[in-house]
Amino acid sequence: MTYQFHRISVLVVEDNLPMLDITKSLLTTFGVGHVIGAQNGESGFRRVREENPDIIIADWMMKPMDGISFTRVVRNDPLSPNPYVPIILMTGFSERRRVLQARDSGVTEFLVKPFNARDLYKRITQVIERPRQFVRSGDFFGPDRRRKATEDYGGPLRREDELSDPKVLKHLQEQQSEAHATLKRIREQAGMEKGDRFDLDLKDTDLM
Amino acid sequence: MQEEQEENALYFNQERRRKAEFLTPINTLKTKVGSGGLSEQILDKAQALLENNAIDFQPLADMYLNTLMKGIERARDTLENGENEAIIASMLYPTMQLKANGGMFHYQLVSMIADKLINFLEVIEKADIDAVEIVLAFHTTLRAVVMGKITGDGGQHGKELMDALDDACRRYFERRPDDKDLREQDYSTEF
Repeated sequence: MTYQFHRISVLVVEDNLPMLDITKSLLTTFGVGHVIGAQNGESGFRRVREENPDIIIADWMMKPMDGISFTRVVRNDPLSPNPYVPIILMTGFSERRRVLQARDSGVTEFLVKPFNARDLYKRITQVIERPRQFVRSGDFFGPDRRRKATEDYGGPLRREDELSDPKVLKHLQEQQSEAHATLKRIREQAGMEKGDRFDLDLKDTDLM
Repeated sequence: MQEEQEENALYFNQERRRKAEFLTPINTLKTKVGSGGLSEQILDKAQALLENNAIDFQPLADMYLNTLMKGIERARDTLENGENEAIIASMLYPTMQLKANGGMFHYQLVSMIADKLINFLEVIEKADIDAVEIVLAFHTTLRAVVMGKITGDGGQHGKELMDALDDACRRYFERRPDDKDLREQDYSTEF
């Protein structure tokens, strides 16, 4: 059983024609059923309205409308057919503050150029397998930006390596063990059996 | 009712203007594509397509190198009274394009050199005469790599070029130890 990519459509918005062609060819090789191209944010949004793609891959630096502005339009314009559509932003920038800027505009994933076929595939897999909750607050609508849960959080690019890096894997296993131990302790304190539904006041445990 | 009163008290009985609403969209994408990923064979085929593309990078590189040169000239012309961030940006953006595209079209060394220049431009305090000279050295090197059709990482020659440029950047900062505190990055400001 493999992904049924022939059932989806992907819009690529890129002003550099050779780059647009090569990205479209990669997607076609992956088996994507309908690959659409646009050369700037404005024509990109027109195609979004016409085609309602399942995934959008957009370059950052474009004129007259760049990838960040394009993302904001897709997320917030009343004419946008799907404000939740996953948007993968391509750029040569990899510095932390650029990633944060992209994240704050409502981008779902970040793909640093130059990239290889597997890099592109990994980002597509992320938006399929690990979709992010959306947040609507006063001045923001987009994927939940709050991934920073612990002090040793490695940043938005961490997921890429988390299972291949032995240190990260060990840390995740330790966190899991700690969570199991905490649950076990709560059960013991509350006289619960494994499988019982948690319906207790934390004040009755040593967690508060 | 009591819960609501307690929550209101927590916010000084004021309306919460920036209350976040969390939404979980239906994952239609997953429903459409199903499970199982793609086979290694397909990924290898896609990678081969990328590696064998015959797109000529030179016209694209010329365009970005010319834009970078315009940025360098603009920086030279306005050394004392130009808009510092705008001047740095006019050199940074074409460099980013060189980094992004070089490696996609077989010129990995162009990406590596441009990446080093981006790192330099991201941390300089201002585009002074010494900084502009260093950017010019990068430009000359990048043009030489493109004109000489040096694809891949350039081997030993590529490494020597990278080391020389790295030394130039380090010497620049060694001459400016007092700027170190000023180079702390401020992530709160938009570029």
